[in-house]
Formats: sequence, C-alpha cells, structure tokens
Amino acid sequence: MRVLSSEAAPICAIRVLLDDYTACLDRDELERWPEFFVPDGIYKVLSRENVERGLSAPLIYYYSRGMMRDRVTALRDALTYEFVYTRHLVSGTQIARLSDGAYRVTSTFAIYQSTEEGVTRLFCVGGYEDRVAMTPDGPCFAERTVVVDTFGVLNLIAVPL
Amino acid sequence: MAHHSSTHKWPTADFTRVPYRVFYDADIYRSEADRLFRGPHWNYLCTETEISNPGDYVISYVGETQVVVNRTEDLTIMAFINSCAHRGAQLVRRLRGNTLSHTCAYHQWCYDTKGALLGVPQQRGVKGKGGMPADFDKAKHSLKTLRVETYKGLVFGTFSVATPPLHDYLGPKIREQIDRIFDRPLKLLGYYRQRIPANWKLYLENVKDPYHAGLLHLFHVTFGIYRPTMSGRVFMDETQGHSVLRTADIGEQQADVNTAYAGIDKYRPDYKLQDPSLFDVKPDYPDKVTNMILTIFPNVMLGQVANTFQIRHVRPKGLREFELFWTYFGFADDDNAAVEGKLRQSNFIGPAGYISLEDGEAGRLVQIGVEHREPSDMSVIEMGGRGPIADIDTLSTEVALRGFWKHYAQSMGFAPTGAD
Ligand code: FES
Ligand SMILES: [Fe+2]
Repeated sequence: MRVLSSEAAPICAIRVLLDDYTACLDRDELERWPEFFVPDGIYKVLSRENVERGLSAPLIYYYSRGMMRDRVTALRDALTYEFVYTRHLVSGTQIARLSDGAYRVTSTFAIYQSTEEGVTRLFCVGGYEDRVAMTPDGPCFAERTVVVDTFGVLNLIAVPL
Repeated sequence: MAHHSSTHKWPTADFTRVPYRVFYDADIYRSEADRLFRGPHWNYLCTETEISNPGDYVISYVGETQVVVNRTEDLTIMAFINSCAHRGAQLVRRLRGNTLSHTCAYHQWCYDTKGALLGVPQQRGVKGKGGMPADFDKAKHSLKTLRVETYKGLVFGTFSVATPPLHDYLGPKIREQIDRIFDRPLKLLGYYRQRIPANWKLYLENVKDPYHAGLLHLFHVTFGIYRPTMSGRVFMDETQGHSVLRTADIGEQQADVNTAYAGIDKYRPDYKLQDPSLFDVKPDYPDKVTNMILTIFPNVMLGQVANTFQIRHVRPKGLREFELFWTYFGFADDDNAAVEGKLRQSNFIGPAGYISLEDGEAGRLVQIGVEHREPSDMSVIEMGGRGPIADIDTLSTEVALRGFWKHYAQSMGFAPTGAD
C-alpha cells in the first residue's frame, strides 16, 4: 500500500490499535476491552445472513462503554459458558481516511478456540468494519461492526469477537 | 415400534424418570425420524410473512429432511421434499428466493410450485432415438408433498394422513397463547442460528423447565424478567406434549425473593448495570407478562422474553447436534422506538444473548454428562411432585418435562409403564 507520508503516522497508530485489541482479547484482558472505544462507541455483531437480507437484528448491540463494561462484568461474575483460549488472526486490513477526519478500516478475521484439553477448533470467521476516531488519547473505535460469516454459531458467543 | 418394546420400557409411569439413552441411542434417533417427524404430528416450517408473494419460497426442515415451502400463483402454500422425482438430486439450491417453477440442475426436470412435473427434456428422445417410454406419465412423477396448514401466520407441515387438523392439534389453551402474540402482522427482524452440541430433546427439556430459569440465568433473576417468586403458571394442552410457561410481574414480595435466594450466589441484589438502557423499553402488552415460553410438540418454541418475540425451531442435525434456528420478529405497527427497543433487547437472546447463551451451554453440559452413563441410568424429574401430571401455578416445577416425555413415549411406542 502506498501512502502519503502525512498519512503514515495515523495509519501506523491505527494498526497498533487493531493489534492491541486482538492481544487484549487473546490474553484475556477483557477489562481493557471497553477502553478501545470512545465513550459512546458502538460495538455490534451481525450475522452476514441478516446483513445481506437487510434485516436489522444484531447478535450483540452495545452503544456505550457502560454496556461493554456490563458485558465484561457478566462474563467474569455471572455467565455460564465453556472455558476456552482464543486466538485471533487478522489480515487484509484496508484503511481509508474519511472527509470528517475519521478513518474507515476493514479487516478479515479468523478466531480459533482451544479447550482446556488443548483441542483446537475454528470458531468464527468474518470481517471487522470499523470507524476509527482520532482522539487526544490516540485512535479509538467510534464503531466496530463485526460481521460473522460463521452465523451458524458454534454453540454460543460469550467473549467479544 | 416393535423392536423397542422389549428393550425400551419407560422406567416410571408418571415420567419422573427419563432414561439417558434417549439422548445418545442411535436406534432411538432413527425411530424418531419415522415416528415423530414422519408421524402424526405437525412440524413447524416457517411464517407466512416470509413467503407472502406468489413464487416466494424458503427451505425448512422436518426432522433432518429438507422441505421447500412456497407460495403458489393462487396464493396457497405448498410444501414438498427438496429432492427431484427423477434421481433424487436436491432440487432447490438456495435457502430462499422467488420463482414460479423449480428446475433440477442435474437433468433439468421442471416442476411448478405445487410440485407437479411440467417438463422432461428429451422425453421423446433425440433424432428419433432414446427418450422416455411412450407410457411415461408426468402426472405420476410429482414431488413428494406434505400436508400444510397454518395458524395465525405460522406454517406447519405433516407427512401423515393421520395427523388431526392443526387447530385441534394445538388445542384451545395453546391457541389462546398464540392468539395473544400473533394478534397483528409481524415484521421480520432477523435470524439467528446456533449449532448446539447436544441431542435436540435437551433443548425441549430446557425451555420447558422454569426451575433452571431462575437459577442458571442471572440476568433473568437480577433484573426482574423472571423470578420464581413472580406470578407464574405452567400449563399444558390435553396431550401434555405442548406447554406454556408464563411469568408476570405481579404480586412479587421482596421478602419472598430474599427467602428463595438465600445462600444462592446467582442472586446479587447489589448487581447494577452501568448502562441499564436496554431495560428502558415500553411493554408491548399491558398484561405484565415478562416471559412466555410456548412449546409445540415435537420441536418448536414460541417465546417472549421481555420485549423480544421469537420462534425457535429445533432442527436435529444427527444424534448429538441440533441447529437452533431463531426467527426474531417485531410487529408491522411497531414505531421506531419499539423497533429500537427490540434491537437493544436482542442482547438478551440468540447465541450471544445474556440469557440464551447459557442454554446452549446447559445442553452441552448435559450431553457430555450423560453420554457414558450406565444404560439403565436416568434423570430425576420430581420438582413439583410425583404422580399425576397437571397444570400448576408455580415456577418451582418440572412438570412440563414430564408432560413432554409422556407424549414422547406414547408417540414413540415405548411400553407405557414401569418395568421394575
Ligand atoms: S435428478 Fe433431477 S433431473 Fe435428474
Ligand atoms: Fe434457559
């Protein structure tokens, strides 16, 4: 990808954001997860089946950091789900500057899960569609929409994708 | 089935016991395909909303059999097995679409929306040679159709001529609950699909079980969608194979809640949401019902959880897996705020929802747990009492499971009473 030199710094910072997001989830540092978003940021998980048919029902729909923190609290203290390790593989990232100064970022991902007995399965593939805002604290997600191709979900989605 | 009765007697006459082998025995699973899914029962197929125009079709399932459901030119609904009358190829290859004729990809046999064979390429041969026999009669080679009936926009199919009319099959108590929700045109909001690693009947047990709902699901409990201390009722149709669990936010006393949850970690009165706006949604009905789970034998559930309304179709995918296929809907007359409320509350339901994700996990846990038990081992279903199976005004009960197993055992031809 050829970039103008004035674009190199923000693009680098956005790539660091994407990598750090992945590392946060794969290292089970969920408490940091809401901080990747602006305070009224949107996190949505959508089924590709619904998106292609113009149907609005989301799998997950959070529109504040508070809701994301609530999810983390529930995952830690309340919800019953299988313990697994996860690994995200993210590739094909494309970054485009929008006229309002934010960036549109799209990537492809695959998430593997490994059980406590060390058996690995492909859990989910899909795409991230992000709107990244440049804030004084660096780039943050104004919106991260996760469109899953694996909408025949392998049992359940507990931790964020 | 004859080969059952010697080896498969139901262990107790009041269905307080269920042999675990019903969840892992391949012979029983095969027998279900004949006796339940091809037997005298109505199988949920889809909603009329999804096939409103002539030529609209969807693929659904009866047991594991793929079925095409379509709207004909004269606006009736027809359903047929998705397999060509020639050499059996899958006929319709996309899950949904619109067409007034279906052409098989393999040799281009062509059918109308009622399943009648319209055309056979080279029927009279090529250059005077070959072709079908002169007496080949297209009228004798239609697709295999199902009987179809609808109730309040829900489409059902059956392979059996012995199945009673859908209206009677549902019965008055079940119809009344369907009438409550399906009292106005639906608006489809989307689908969810889950592949749950469990026998399909474990899901029916789960949704007929109000006992777990206040114990496994913290969200239910803490945020007042569901507590066993609310006004609750479990009731069944005449066969007791269908059931309704209903909870209304009426008459609940905090003292009762405290007693019911004394010593149970799952209830955390101090638990607060940082952003509770997903509860900030106007009720869709004035009756204070917060939770209504209606199951129709054998394998569909209609549900209300707070402001969410869903159809959950339990589609077996082999002995140890099923797809839970959710059709999530609102109503055509919902205003923007009501639609937004339903989108917010999608966070309760579906494969990622605060409440429903745990039911997938419950199925997985039971399947793992029962898989290698002794052949004679069985579950204990006594919450709510032994003996006669009857409707009851409490949520502290598992009686609807016993009703399900009773109707299941009868339908499957298990010997009716205790062997020991
Ligand atoms: S199998 Fe369908 S036309 Fe031959
Ligand atoms: Fe449940």
